[in-house]
Parts: sequence; structure tokens; C-alpha cells
Amino acid sequence: MRHVPPHRWADAFAGKLSEAEVAELDAHAESCASCAKRRDRVQRASSSFPVLRAQSAPELAWDGVRARVHWSVSSARRARTRSTGRGLVAVGTLAACGAAVALALATGSAPRPSVATPAVTAPRRAVTPPPAALAGLVSRQSGQVMIDGMQRDDAFERTLGAGTVLATAEGRIDVQFGDHSALSLAPGSTLELRRFDAEQIALAVQGTIDIEVAPRAAGQRFLVIAGDRTIEVRGTQFRVSHDGKHTRVACHHGLVVVRDARAEVAVAAARKLDVDAAVEGSHVVPLSVSELDQLAGATPAMLPLWSDAKALVHSSAALEVATVGKRAVRVDGVEVGEGPLRVRVMPGRHTVETADPAGRFRRAGWVDVTADHTARLAVHAEAPPTGGAAERRRQLHAGIDRARLSRCTRAFAKQGFTDTYVRIEISIDDTGAVGFLNVIDSDLPSTTQACVREVLADVRFHAGAAATFRDKIDL
Amino acid sequence: MLRVVKRDTGSTAVLGPVDEADLIERCRADERAAQDELYHRFRRQVAGNLYRVLGDRTDLEDLVQEVFVIAFRGLERFRGDARLSTWLYRICVNVALGKIRTRRRRPTAVGVVDLDATPVDPSLTDRPETPEKSLERREERERVYRALEQLAPKKRIVLYLHEIEGLDLKEIAYLVDSNPVTVRTRLFYARREFYKVIAGEEP
Repeated sequence: MRHVPPHRWADAFAGKLSEAEVAELDAHAESCASCAKRRDRVQRASSSFPVLRAQSAPELAWDGVRARVHWSVSSARRARTRSTGRGLVAVGTLAACGAAVALALATGSAPRPSVATPAVTAPRRAVTPPPAALAGLVSRQSGQVMIDGMQRDDAFERTLGAGTVLATAEGRIDVQFGDHSALSLAPGSTLELRRFDAEQIALAVQGTIDIEVAPRAAGQRFLVIAGDRTIEVRGTQFRVSHDGKHTRVACHHGLVVVRDARAEVAVAAARKLDVDAAVEGSHVVPLSVSELDQLAGATPAMLPLWSDAKALVHSSAALEVATVGKRAVRVDGVEVGEGPLRVRVMPGRHTVETADPAGRFRRAGWVDVTADHTARLAVHAEAPPTGGAAERRRQLHAGIDRARLSRCTRAFAKQGFTDTYVRIEISIDDTGAVGFLNVIDSDLPSTTQACVREVLADVRFHAGAAATFRDKIDL
Repeated sequence: MLRVVKRDTGSTAVLGPVDEADLIERCRADERAAQDELYHRFRRQVAGNLYRVLGDRTDLEDLVQEVFVIAFRGLERFRGDARLSTWLYRICVNVALGKIRTRRRRPTAVGVVDLDATPVDPSLTDRPETPEKSLERREERERVYRALEQLAPKKRIVLYLHEIEGLDLKEIAYLVDSNPVTVRTRLFYARREFYKVIAGEEP
């Protein structure tokens, strides 16, 4: 018998040969050392196949790969859009040329072709510089947020440009990109900055986004792309919610234009538009008071002054307010959302207030912020109020300096206004320190109110039961 | 409907036909969440396929990226005559084929096999391996992949899919975009060459 070709051994180990054939091959291998050697080698290789087949994937930087995939896909989409645009321009130019020639021939004014006609040189393409790229800064962040597929601790130390993809889980992120221009991405949403330059800002959204944008200059466009619908604005505050099929556009102020391939509809201030199938046939309806209120409350956080993002990223800083549980936070008297959160502030001393479970704001402390350094303020949970209000109320009334109080209202009283009042809300802890003192109602002018408040704030309390209560002080 | 991928590797979840169609539709509508979901479901399967075909993890992240980019761009043309996983496997095979061709033109100094870096399915190893056994296993794998390197790219792919993955001619024909007769011919010559190398003979 001739030597056994190696693949025959593989057939034998794969069970493709009959028993008789295998026996014949084995018999040959018994008498042929080289075939026996080959058989062993093929057998070892064949037995390793199941192990090779069972190899699982190695761990890769999955998020990084995902971000690159998305970048590539969106870049291709952009390129496609641009080339389509150029194609249309080219077709338009050709059509215009054709029409001009046809018109000239019809009127008989077409120049006769001549051999001596000099060669027409193609006009040199004007090289237009690309529009200046814009950069955005994270102005507020709370909860889980991903930037380009990663949760980043340095979100406040970076600038965001075209191609950036933001995604929120139960968190929220605000990005400022100009003076009085910012966006706020709601929980469970994704946003891609498809184009982000001085000529055009194009944002592709999935989920809900609130945008406030300052009036754009001539030639500047601001677009929000929601599936196959486009929302374009000049200068306005509005909200877009898109879940793949349904799109809702609500306009707080200004004017928003919603369009798809076939139609466009303008949505004016305090109006909304729900699009289920096509823009055509969708009706604009007024917003309810609660919807308007909600829209106003979702205004993105912004720095009061805006210059250059790259400079601001170093001249401002993040202020982190770490609250126990979710509670509303005010910084310098302005409500900035639900803590724990981070908000961008300018250097200096900032006062932070947080709301208690009843929704009343109380001072949590102040914090000094230096440029380019994250500042942190931990707000501890306060003890639940105890029932010492009656005693504290008695101490308050007993401790008021009535002479000072009458000086506050003297000028007012001289004019004949008497029987005035202030209604206050006050919190006193067990050491007798005043946690907060707010004037919640009064028939006095604000300067007189402030004077009265100062008098009340100077009342000294003894150690005792903590209490928070409201009271009316007659003057 | 053709269904080639028989194993579930890593976190690849098995999708029902309705879920799959819905996911594809949402991806076509450019819905980011759906694209993320598709990526998340199939990323390990894709990486595993590429890794096993090529035998090492050099440029694996780039190749996984390439597969998904092709997939997202080509979803418009996906007719649904195969499972999504099979279609992705087909893309993997083509991407791997391109990589093998590039490697042959520009051979690198990097070793061919590093499969030891990843764990083997625990169900296949009923007891802990001894160091000698592990070394032997590793050498055997290196030998297999070196032998595969000797083959022309098309033959290599066909042989890999048949001998190691255990796919039949029809399934391989779909994956390599050819017909079963051509595949059978390629496989015939590929097996001869491959086992000659394995047996210690020159091809």
C-alpha cells in the first residue's frame, strides 16, 4: 500500500471513513513509521479544533471602539450630505448654463463658433476658508452622563466640538456654546454635535433637549435634527423631544420652524407641535400653563459672561454640591437644579442653598472657588424638625427690639400708613442659632422689609428645641 | 432563513425575529440607542469571530470597528434573508480576508498566535490544566495557525470555516459570497495543503 496522504488521516478522525477503511489505514501505519508519525501529528491538530472553536473574545476597550464606530458612521453621513449638496449645486449650475444657451440660440444671439476662438479657461475655484470651529463648555452636570461613550471626571476641564456625542442615563448635562446660548440634555437622551462651527450648528437628538439660543447672525444656521425632521431657529428657547417616530417641539419664546421632506410648520411662542407621521397635517396648539412653567424651569445653566471657550475653561471652575439624596440647589440665589450636581461658576465666593424635604431653601454654606480648580461643598442631612415652635415663637416676640423696629417703619408711619405687617419663616436649631429667616409676605416696601428683617435676625435665642415655623409680625 | 452562527459567545443575546426586525428598523432610522444596542449585543461575537479567524489580537479593535461601520452603513441593503448574526459573521469573514491579504503583502514581526491570552470555554476543560498540558495545547494551536498562514487567503478562510468552525458548504458559500461548488473545490485543495503542512511535509 502507498503512503497515506495526511488529509486521509483527517477524514478518519472526523469520522468520514468507514471502519474498514480506518482499519486499513491503521494497519499501514503499524508497518510504516513515517505514516504513523503523520497520523499522530494530524490527530493532535484535529483534537485542538474544538478548543480553538471555543475561544471567546478578548476584552477590548469596548466604549472606545463604540465611540469610533459612531464617529465613522456619522462622518460618512456628513460627507454624504455634503456631496449631495454639491451634486445639487452642480446640477443647478448645469441647468442654468443649458437654459442660457437655449435662450441665446432662440434669440439668435449665440456667437458663431470660430476656429480662432480662444480656449475658455475654467474660472479658478475660489478657496473659501472653512468656518471657524465652535467649542462648548459643560456648564452643569448631574447623574450619569457619557461624553463620547465614556463617563468622564474631567468633563468640566474639556471643550466640546463637532463630532462629540453626549448621552445621559438618569443624569442631565448642560453645555454652553455662546453668549446666552446653551443646551440641556434631559435624562435618557443622546445628542450628537454633527456640525459645530460659526456657519452652522447642527445637533442630532434622540430623547429630549432644551435649548436657549441667542439670535443668530445673518448666514448662521441653527438646526436640530430629529430623525427625518429638522427644527430650525433664529433665536429662541425651545424644547425638542424625539423618540424615533414621534417628535414634539415646544417653543417658550421666539419662533421655531419644523420641517420634513414635504412641508414645514412654524411654531410660535407658547405653542407646541406634535408630529407623529408627517409635519404636513400636524397642528400647532397652545402650551398649558404647567407646560410653560416646566419649559421655563428647564432653562440651561449658563455663565453670565461668555468670551472664548478655550480661555473660559481655565478661567472658570466646577463647583460640586454633594447633597444627601436628591434636593434642589441654589447657587448665589439662582436655582441650578437637583443635587448632587456640578455647575460651572466664575472664581469667587459663592453661597449655596439647598431645599429641605418640604421644599424650603436654607443656606448650606459658602465656598471659595479658584479658577481651574474644582470646588466641593458637602451638604449634610439636617435633623428632622422637632415640636418646639410655640416656645421659640414666644422667645422671638419677647426678643424683638421694638424701638429699632419702629425706626424702620417711622418714615412710613409718618405718611399715615399703620397696621402694617411682615410674615416670616424662621428656623432655629437646638443651640439657638438661626438657620434661615425669610420674609415671605409683607405690605411694606422692600427697603423697609429688609430693615425689619435685620431687626428680627438680631433676636437671640437660647438653647432648646429646634423649630421651624411661620409667623406674622404686626408693626 | 440561513443561520450559521451556532454558538453564543460572551454577552451576545439571542434575538427573536420580531426583536431583530425592530432593532434593524430602528438602526435604519438612525436611532442611536438602537445602534448602541446592536453594538452591545453583537460586539463580543464579532470580536470572537475575528479573533478566531485571524488567530491573534493585533489590530482587533480596529477590525471590530470596521465590521460595525460596514454593518451600520450597509443595513439599508440588508434584506433579511439571513439572521443578523449570520450577516455580521459574513462581514467579519470579509474583513478578516482583507486583513489576511494585507498581512501577506506586508508581513509583520508580530507572532501569529496569542490565543493563550484568552480563556477557553470552561465546559471544555473538565479539570485544571497542568503547565505541561497548557504548553502542549499552546504549541498545537500555534502549529495550526502557522499551517493556516501557509494557505492562500481564500483557501484559508474556507478551510477554517469547515474544519475548525464545522460549517457546511452551503453556509460557507453564503459567508464567502460564492457558490457551494467553488467552495468544495477550494476546500479540496486547501485540506490537502493544510494537512501536508500539519503532517510535517512541505505543501
